[in-house]
Formats: sequence, structure tokens, C-alpha cells
Amino acid sequence: MDHSNYQTDYKHVGQPYSRKDAQKKVTGQAQYAIDLDLPGMLYGKWLLSPHARAKILSIDTSAAKALPGVKAVITGEETDILVGLYMQDKLAMAKGETRYQGEVVAAVAAVDLQTAEKAISLIKVDYEPLKPVLDVDEALDGDILVHEDINELKHVEGVFFPQKDSNIASLNKAKRGDVDKALQEADIVVESEFSLPAVAHAPMETHVTIVQADPYSNRIVVWSSAQSPFALRQMLAHSFKISESDIEVNIPFVGGAFGGKAGIHLEPLATLLSKAANGAPVKLIPTREEEFNQLPTRAGMRGHIITGAKKDGKITAVKVVYDWDSGAYADYGVNVGKTAVYSGIGPYDIENAAVVSKTIYTNKVFSTAYRGFGHLETHWTIERQMDIISQKLGIDPLDLRMKNLLEPGSRTISGELISESSGSVKDCLAAVVKEIGWTGRKTEEERRKEWATGKVRGKGFAVLQKAPAMPANTSTSVIMQMTGDGRVKMMIGAIDYGQGANTTMAQIAAQELDLPIDRVEVVENLSTQTNPYDWNTVASKYTFMGGNAVIRASRDMLRQMKDIAAQVLHSTADHLAHGGGYIYHIHNPERRIAYEQLALGYQYPDGSGIGGPLISHGVYMADGLTNLDHETGQGKPALVWTFGAHAVDLEVDVETGSITILKVASAFDIGQVINEKLIYGQICGGVLQGLGSAILEGYKFSPDNRLLNPSFTDNKIPTMKDMPIEVVPIYIENPQKNGPYGARGVGEHPMISVPSAVGNAVYDALGINFHVLPLSPEAIVLGILSGKESILCTDVNCLPGCY
Amino acid sequence: MLSRFKYLKPHNLNEAVQYLEKEEKSFVLAGGTDLMILLRRNLINAEHIVDIKGLPEMAEFEFIDGAGLTIGASVVVNTVVDSEVVKTKYPALHQASASLASFLLRNRATVVGNICNASPGADLPPALLVYDAVVNIAGPQGMRQVPLHEFFTGVKRTVLQRGELVISVQLPDPGDGDKSIYLRQARLRGHDLATVGVASRIKPDGKVAIGICAVAPTPLRLFALEEKINERELNQETVEWAAEEIKQHIHPITDVRSSAQYRLQMASVLLKRGLSHLITKEDNHG
Amino acid sequence: MVDHKECSLLDEHIASNQRKVSLTCVVNGVEICDTIDPTMTLLHFLRDRLKLFGTKESCGEGECGACTVIMNGKAVTSCIILAIEADGAEILTVEGLAKDGRISILQEEFISEDALQCGFCTPGFLMSTRALLDRNPDPSEEEIKEALAGNLCRCTGYLPILKAVKKAAERERKELK
Ligand SMILES: Cc1cc2nc3c(=O)[nH]c(=O)nc-3n(C[C@H](O)[C@H](O)[C@H](O)COP(=O)(O)OP(=O)(O)OC[C@H]3O[C@@H](n4cnc5c(N)ncnc54)[C@H](O)[C@@H]3O)c2cc1C
Ligand code: FES
Ligand code: FES
Repeated sequence: MDHSNYQTDYKHVGQPYSRKDAQKKVTGQAQYAIDLDLPGMLYGKWLLSPHARAKILSIDTSAAKALPGVKAVITGEETDILVGLYMQDKLAMAKGETRYQGEVVAAVAAVDLQTAEKAISLIKVDYEPLKPVLDVDEALDGDILVHEDINELKHVEGVFFPQKDSNIASLNKAKRGDVDKALQEADIVVESEFSLPAVAHAPMETHVTIVQADPYSNRIVVWSSAQSPFALRQMLAHSFKISESDIEVNIPFVGGAFGGKAGIHLEPLATLLSKAANGAPVKLIPTREEEFNQLPTRAGMRGHIITGAKKDGKITAVKVVYDWDSGAYADYGVNVGKTAVYSGIGPYDIENAAVVSKTIYTNKVFSTAYRGFGHLETHWTIERQMDIISQKLGIDPLDLRMKNLLEPGSRTISGELISESSGSVKDCLAAVVKEIGWTGRKTEEERRKEWATGKVRGKGFAVLQKAPAMPANTSTSVIMQMTGDGRVKMMIGAIDYGQGANTTMAQIAAQELDLPIDRVEVVENLSTQTNPYDWNTVASKYTFMGGNAVIRASRDMLRQMKDIAAQVLHSTADHLAHGGGYIYHIHNPERRIAYEQLALGYQYPDGSGIGGPLISHGVYMADGLTNLDHETGQGKPALVWTFGAHAVDLEVDVETGSITILKVASAFDIGQVINEKLIYGQICGGVLQGLGSAILEGYKFSPDNRLLNPSFTDNKIPTMKDMPIEVVPIYIENPQKNGPYGARGVGEHPMISVPSAVGNAVYDALGINFHVLPLSPEAIVLGILSGKESILCTDVNCLPGCY
Repeated sequence: MLSRFKYLKPHNLNEAVQYLEKEEKSFVLAGGTDLMILLRRNLINAEHIVDIKGLPEMAEFEFIDGAGLTIGASVVVNTVVDSEVVKTKYPALHQASASLASFLLRNRATVVGNICNASPGADLPPALLVYDAVVNIAGPQGMRQVPLHEFFTGVKRTVLQRGELVISVQLPDPGDGDKSIYLRQARLRGHDLATVGVASRIKPDGKVAIGICAVAPTPLRLFALEEKINERELNQETVEWAAEEIKQHIHPITDVRSSAQYRLQMASVLLKRGLSHLITKEDNHG
Repeated sequence: MVDHKECSLLDEHIASNQRKVSLTCVVNGVEICDTIDPTMTLLHFLRDRLKLFGTKESCGEGECGACTVIMNGKAVTSCIILAIEADGAEILTVEGLAKDGRISILQEEFISEDALQCGFCTPGFLMSTRALLDRNPDPSEEEIKEALAGNLCRCTGYLPILKAVKKAAERERKELK
């Protein structure tokens, strides 16, 4: 769709409408999966492996089975339901062996939660603990295989590449030019390593799931706090070898997702329990502890980067290896690894580049998609490295970046051409550095002076890019109907888990149909029985794809109205226009028919009717994307890039290591603001999540890979006292030709590169390069005490769990 | 929660004591902000829960000139935070109270519960210790008093015997010219258990008292360090010296919250900051 | 010091096998009498017995504030309070904020400032804020943060919530004299 005529003032697009479901949410009426209370419902509980890797010698469930109120007890021994998104590597319950502390070993369904919990406490499991694969180094040694059967694992071929007899779930790569030669010819070569730990999504509602599996047929009904109903339906059908049409997935309000609720999680387990309990609905409510221990996380990562540059700051070569500590199962982790290839050098135009990305199995809780889909991690590598290069070259980091950033005519590492319509990362960077008043790095002398006061200010910035990471043939669809009173109800395939999809889509429909916003409604609480297909509500793709689909559905509906109106008005459709709830004649607006007169078909004065109930649909399929060549990484993976930049002004307490974030300026080239209020929320929320990753969050593991902080007591997320004093959002609007009104997605981007900007600001403040996250008070102090200029993981981590 | 307890809310102290003595696996419930977590995580198996919030003795919260401050066992932390007399007379206790958990929790958490829970990282003991707090205990044998520094016997362990419960904690009147401060370091600004917490006090006679948490199995009063400091003239130089010296007096461990090294360093920084603050200020307002 | 004469009720309690307790309280202005298991938390009493699902559970350990209700005028985390502790208490939940068919100013401001995204934390924030504004109609920014920092939100980044609270306080001072 080419909306070549960009306007700046639309009636509805661009309006800061309040989100449509807000009233339900402030009155406690919004029902989430955790609030559903079905007749005859049982409660599930499950037993988690206490060992990172162990043989299951025996399981004794007799006492649990004997407990009054227990309706079902199951173990992995009795089932072999395989689950897997891209790699079929996971069983619904462990069988014979457990691969991470937190893997489900047995489960029960009982009349209430207390009984279920009691039953679980009565199950006895005999384990033989085995030596776990602790981290990526051990995994790459390959002495122990997390999946002995890796050579036989079924997977999506041609996209993911498991390596024979190894712990590498997928190895993806891309290259451009001749890196080794360019490195040899460079004036300077800078080699660094950066790392960061696994981090929790921490949605406020855990992965609550209810399943009712009909004992007399294949029919399965799911209610789940999930973000990908159609992918879930497909995978569940695949796991249970039934038809997708046997499955009904219902998604009520969802209490936060952030990628962690994409794909399939507790649904197979709940299905097994419901089947075992003779078809009663079974509700699984993971506790916060289970959420941390059992449910997937963002992978830890180590990036090794070698950059070659000329004295003038032109970067001529970059070579990166990303090692993802993806835990015991591949889930979305392999796709994160793949994305790190085509987006793996950041928004830079570098002639000679090579990226290798390995998604690696270890005996830890497995990883999945998390807001940013690997980009926070890769940009931690790229954008810290840029700062270090600028230090070495003595060039201002702003100038260095400006010299190398993508611009129209540049090509990305996968060979995509950047055009005027792609958005401008330079505009974003220029805007944020201006906002924080960047005048160049602090001198050593200035630093020393401030240090004496105990508090040092620092400024830093970082750029970012991300395109939706999705299959080349990703699609979405919308159904639109008109009620008898001329209002519009839409069913979409995406979930509104707070990002505001329902409101944004309503605005676009209101714009297209020229209806007041309160006359357009997106039906809440999606069901796969009624709502049309969407691939997954992930990847910041929905404003773009869903928006285009809604435009098409709206135009289809207008066309239908005009066809009927043409007959009634004795005209032709191309002489008709729409506005204010009417179809009217362009030369004589008084010749008109109200929408409501057409909604259910037009009725003539004699009572007869023509037309019929108005129903339209719109679809959008990604256009022009291709898979990537395995050897070179060349292809067209990106539907639309959204570029951005963050700049941070902070203060470090040099004695305690505490960082105060004074200001964050964030700019994104979003093409067109559809709803400023909603985008502002995405930015504030994303920035704070990014700050969490930057200075606070992370999993910690014991020497035998047990998670040491599976609770909010020790796995902290920022509170209201931890937010920045000021967040300045900046919207750049270089329109995207094929986007709805020129818009691009921005759901994930506010989180990406925040740690990089913070790390760069900390360098500005302290003159120390941190290579490891989080920049916790402890890390800062130990870093300072170490007396080193570069702080690696081993310098600040007294516990294992990083690299 | 696997515990299947009976619940009792006694109307008088006798009932409470007798019940606790008679019944095994009985636990006192005050605000429940520790106890409920233990129950939920199945770290204890309770058969009886004795809710003491109905006992009139426990509600006492009173300052008497010369005699000092009594904080009953059902007095919640926010009451202490809001108290003007605590703010002016016991600034370190005010600050420690205001730093404990979150506002929501402080509406329930009691001061005495914080002591009885005997967590190494509890925030209130350092401040109570520097004020020579005394714990009033009721039991089958009657009443007894234990100085707070003798109350803790190990991680989550106290001198309380079966059938005993704490009625109140009592702080002497510090008199005029007393100064104190509580400083803590945590992983974030929002609610978090302290990585280290240090209470520093300079008494009207110029002598120093130091209490600390999260560096040993129990909260500590650093008597030996105090003695060494008190041998010197209290000036900035002594403060700097003490900040180094404290590292000889504590032996923190590494755990999920912090490394031993960072704890040592923070103990030093917080003591230095606390004492520096106290010696450079004129009034005694926190 | 134990006076055994006083303990007859106590003996009865000890001898009895009955664990159930009876609970009387007022929830959102309605008196409730019930017999419950003493292990039941106030949160589960509200949700499972009274079917007031507005109050949420997210951590169950006092860390997140999703379960915040107002009990005798104070905002508290209902997940770590036994239901029986609420005997004789007055409880206000999110369902009790709107009056006479109209949502309150506070709720209106949460909507108009977009102080919510997924909305799961919202009831907790509303209750913490309600208690704050009841005791302090004109809170400073620091006081707001102090009162609300026990409520976690993973979506909004808190800035919109802070704004909503400030605006609600201002409007309440003007409009509800
Ligand atoms: C989210 C969260 C954050 C927290 N943050 C902090 C923090 O920052 N700093 C901190 O110090 N603490 C913190 N705590 C711990 C807790 O809130 C405090 O220790 C609180 O003061 C305990 O008081 P309570 O009244 O709730 O105790 P309860 O839980 O009722 O009791 C605690 C223990 O003491 C016993 N007990 C209570 N009263 C008596 C009595 N009178 N006689 C004998 N035994 C008794 C109980 O049986 C129990 O074992 C936190 C807790 C949570 C859940
Ligand atoms: S659910 Fe009660 S505080 Fe988190
Ligand atoms: S709105 Fe989702 S957690 Fe606050």
C-alpha cells in the first residue's frame, strides 16, 4: 500500500485518544486468565526438578494419588508430547532426564490449590544428579551434550542450523566484503568482549493457563495469558497430532507479555492434566517463583567484536561472534540468534562485515523472545564498541557515529538497500544529543575535579535499529462488521496486552471510515473460533501490518457501501464519497445515505431491500521478504526498519556505585505518530525496562546452575523510585511509504540500546569501560576498586552466572 | 502453603503464653510480613498461629522524658516513621524505619517482629542497638529483660524459649545533645533488603556507638571498634581511620545479594559518611 | 504468672478439632459473614469467596503490590494477610472506588493520563493512591513515590502514573471540597 500523499493533520490518526479498555481496567472489571472461574474447574500444580541436569531414576506418585481431592497425577514417563517452535527439542514433561532446574517432572490436578500443593509434596522422585553444562564455554567444549540427540532433532530447515554432535542449536552467519583483508589494512583494530546475563520479562500476570480437553473427542479449549493465539493453536495441534480446528484458544485480558508469552508454554501440560482428569477444566497458575525457575527468560549473551577503522574514523571492517546462553531448549532463542545476524552490526554502513551467531544449549532455564529480540544484547556489544573506538581514535563519539551510520543508498549487512523511506537514524541521534546538551566528552581533569565531590556526572548515547523478526511470509487479517446503527466492530488477530493495538486499530478504522472514535470498536478477548488469523503478536509489526489490514478492510467496507448507495442514489460508485457517517454524491453532497441505512442492507420506502449486512475484511502479507542465504546471510529479512537513539545524562556516586538517571532522551523515526499517548507509554515503559537491564536486573546461578534469585526479593525490577527524573520522547516522522499513514512500529525499540547509552555515560563519568551488565552499584564500586580501565565479567562477579 | 494451622487470637497475655507453651509448632503472628513468607514457601510447618495483635500490652507506644521510649509488639513501623518524638530523639531509628521495605509493608510490619525474626540483614536492629535497646519478654516464668545485643543468637535465632514472647522493646532517653544516623546501601532505590546498614550515634558525652546489619549472622553492635574510636579525638581524621578500621571488625559473606568485598567496602563508606555527618552538624535532627 | 482460671476458653480451643474460623467484616460497604479456613489469605478470601477479582495476585509475597487493598484506612498487601486478621475490619477494594454509577476522579485521571497498559497492576496502584490521597490530599512528588514504590508496574515506566496521581490530587482538592 503506497500512501504517497502524507498529510500531517488527520482527524483521528495522530489523536491522543485514551485506550479503549481503560475503564474496564480501572474498575477491576477486566478479566484476566487468572480471574476466570469455570464450573468444575480443577487446579494444577507441578513438581520442578531441583537439579540442573539429572537422571530421573524413579517417581513415586502413590501417596499423591491416594490423597482425597486429587483427580489426576501425571509424570513424563506416561507421555511423550513433543513441543517446539522451531526445534522439536522439548517434551511437555521431562522424561528420563532433566535439563534444567525448573523443568517439570510431575503434575497433579486437584479440587483446590491447597490439595494440589499437598499432593505435589507427597511425590517422591529419585534423581541421579549429573554434571551440568554450566555456561557457553563448557557448552562449546562439547564434552557433555545437553541434547544427545541433537543430530536427529526436527527443526525448521533452511532457517536454523543445528551443528552436529555439539551444543549449538543453530549457527547463523552473514558476511559482506572481505573482512580479514580490511582488518589488515585498517589503521587501528579494536577487539573487545561484552556480556550480559539472562533477564526476566517479569510480566505482572504470570503464565496463567486453563485447558479443557474433551475426553470424547479431540476438542481442546484453552484460556491462556498468551500473546500468540494462532501460533499456540498450531503448535498445540502439532504436539497432540490433532487438527487446528479441534482447538479453541481464548485470550482474555493479558497482564503483560513482553515476548515471554509468545509461542506455547503451559498449555500442553494443562492439556495432559485435563485429559487425565477426564476432561475437567484445569487451571495452572504459576507462582512468581515458578515463573522465574521454570518459564523462559531472555538469554544471556557474550559478544566478541573486532573492528577495523581508518584514522579519520571511517569503519572499514567489523567481525562479530555472538554466543547466546540459550538454556536447555531452543524455543524462540534460535530465532533471536538468527536475527542477531542480519541486524548484528547495528545501523551502520560497513563495507566489510562478518557476523556469526550461535544459539547454545546449556543446562539452564531456557530462553525466548523478549522485547527487542536480541537487539538490546547486540547493541550492548556494538554501541559500547563504538564508544571505545572513539576513545582510541580521539574522535568525538557523535562524529564517529555520524560518519558511519546508514543513510539512503547504504546497504545493510544482508544487502538491503536503505532508501529515503527507510527512516533516518541520523535524525534520531542528532535529536537526542541536542536534547541532553552534548558538548563532547569530559576531560580527565574535569573528571578528577568532580570525583573529589563524590559524585560524577556523565553523558552518553547510543543508536539502535530493529525490524520485525518474522518469517518471510508473515500475514495478518481483520474482519469488520457494521451494526444496524452504523457502528463498526472489528475482529483482529492480535492481542492487546497493553501496547494499545485495539485502540490504534480503531483509530485507523475511524480515520478511514470517517467515524467518531467511539463508534469503532475492536472486539476484546480474542477467540480463535471467531477472530481471523494473525501470525503472532510480537516483533513491533502490528501497527504496520495490522494497520494496513485495517485500511484494506475499511476501504472494502466503503466500497460495499458505495455499491449499494450508487443504486439507491442512481449514480455510480466512483461519483460517491464518504464523510461524517454518510455516503454522498461528490457534486451534490445532499444526495446522501447514512451508514446506518446501509449497515444491514438498504430498505426502500416500499419495504423491499437491497444489499445486506456489511461485512468486510482486510489482509496484509509481508511483501518482498526472503529467507537468508546460509553462507552469506544475503536476502531480504526486514519488512520495515525502525531506527532510534537514546541519550542519557546520569550521576554516579563513586563511593557506593549507585547511579542516578537524571535524564533520558529517546528518539525514534516512527514515520507517523498514530497515538502519542500510547507511544509515550511505550517509551517510558521501554526505557525503564532498558534501565533495569542496564543497572539492576539479571539471573544469578550457583556453581551447579541452580537459580539463586527466583523471586522479586532478589530478582528486582525497577520501582517508581528508580525511574529517571526526566524522560524526553522525540518522534521523528520520516514516512514509511508502505506503512499505514507512513507509520512504523515502536513497541520494542524504547528498550534497545538503553544499557549501551548508560554504559557510555558511565565511561564519560568515570573513564572506565564496563563490558558487563548490569552496572549495579556493586559492579561500579568493584570496577573502580580494581583500578582497571576495562572491567570484564570476572572483575565484578563473585558469583558465576555470567561469562 | 502446606501448613494447616489453627488460629488463635488471645485476649490476654496469660492465654498467649500458656498456649505457646502448651502447643508445639506454635508461631507468634504480628504483622506477618516475615511469617507469611515462611509459611508460603513452606520453610516452616505451623500447627498453631497465635495472633498477638489483640493484646493490650502490645499496643504501647510511648515516650516518657527521662525513662525513654517503649515500642509494643503490635506497633507497626509506619507508626514509628510518623512519630515526631522518634524523629527528634532517635533519628537513626526514624531513618531505619523509613527505609524498611515499602510503605505498604510498613503498614503491617512491626518493630518487634523485625527483631524477633532475627534476620542478619534486618534494618531496625542497628539503630536499636546503638540506643542500648532492651527487649521485654513474657514467658511461663514471668517477665525478663534482655539487652538487644544479647538477644540474637544466630541466623533467625534468638534467646526466646518455648512459651516466650516479646512484649516490647525499650529505648532509654538519650537526653539532649545526642546525634545519630542510619545509612544503608541496597541494589536499587525501591524496597530492597539492605546490602549493608550502619547506624552511627554520638552520645551527649561524645562517645560513639555503632550498629550494623548484613555483615554477620546477626546484627551487631561493634563494641570493640567503638572502644578504639572512643580512645581518639573524634574528628575527620578519626572518622577516616575508623572507616578503614571497621574492616577488621566484620567478616561479611558473599551471597546472592552482594559480595563480601562490596559489603566490606560499603560498611566502610557508610560509617565514614555517618560519622562525618554527625561531627559536622550542630543540631541533633537526623 | 499464668493464671489458669482465665484459660477455660483457651482449653476449649486447644481441645477442639475445629480449625475453621468465623469472619465478619465490611467489604466495599457490605457486611460479610463467613466461615473460613484460617490458612486462607485475605487476597484469596476476596477473590475466591467474594469473587472480587479486581484485586490481583502477582507475587504472593508482599513484593509487588498487585494485591493492595485498603484495610481500616491503610493500604496493605492482602496476599500476606490472613483473611481472619480482617475480622472486624473495613476493607475497600478497587470495585468499591466508583460510586453512584460514576467512576471516581482518580480512576478518570488514570485513564486520561494513560497510567496503565496491561492493567494488571492498576487496581493495586489505585488503592495505594486512594489511601495516600485520603491521608494527604496534597502530596509532593517524593511523597507519591514513597507511597507507591511498593507497587510494581512492568509496563508504564511509572511516569504516567505519577502524572495521573498529581492531577487526581489537584482535581480532588478543587472538586471535592
Ligand atoms: C517485601 C518485603 C520486604 C521487606 N523488606 C525489609 C527491609 O527492607 N528491611 C527489613 O529489615 N525487613 C524487611 N522485610 C522483613 C519484614 O517486613 C520485617 O522483618 C518486619 O519488621 C517483620 O515484622 P512483622 O510484624 O511483619 O513480623 P511477623 O512476620 O509477624 O513475625 C516475624 C517473626 O517474629 C516472630 N514474632 C513476631 N512478633 C513476636 C513477638 N512479639 N514475640 C515473639 N516472636 C515474635 C514471628 O513468630 C516470626 O517468626 C521485608 C519483608 C517483605 C515481605
Ligand atoms: S501479590 Fe501481594 S504483593 Fe505481590
Ligand atoms: S500496566 Fe502492566 S504492569 Fe502496570
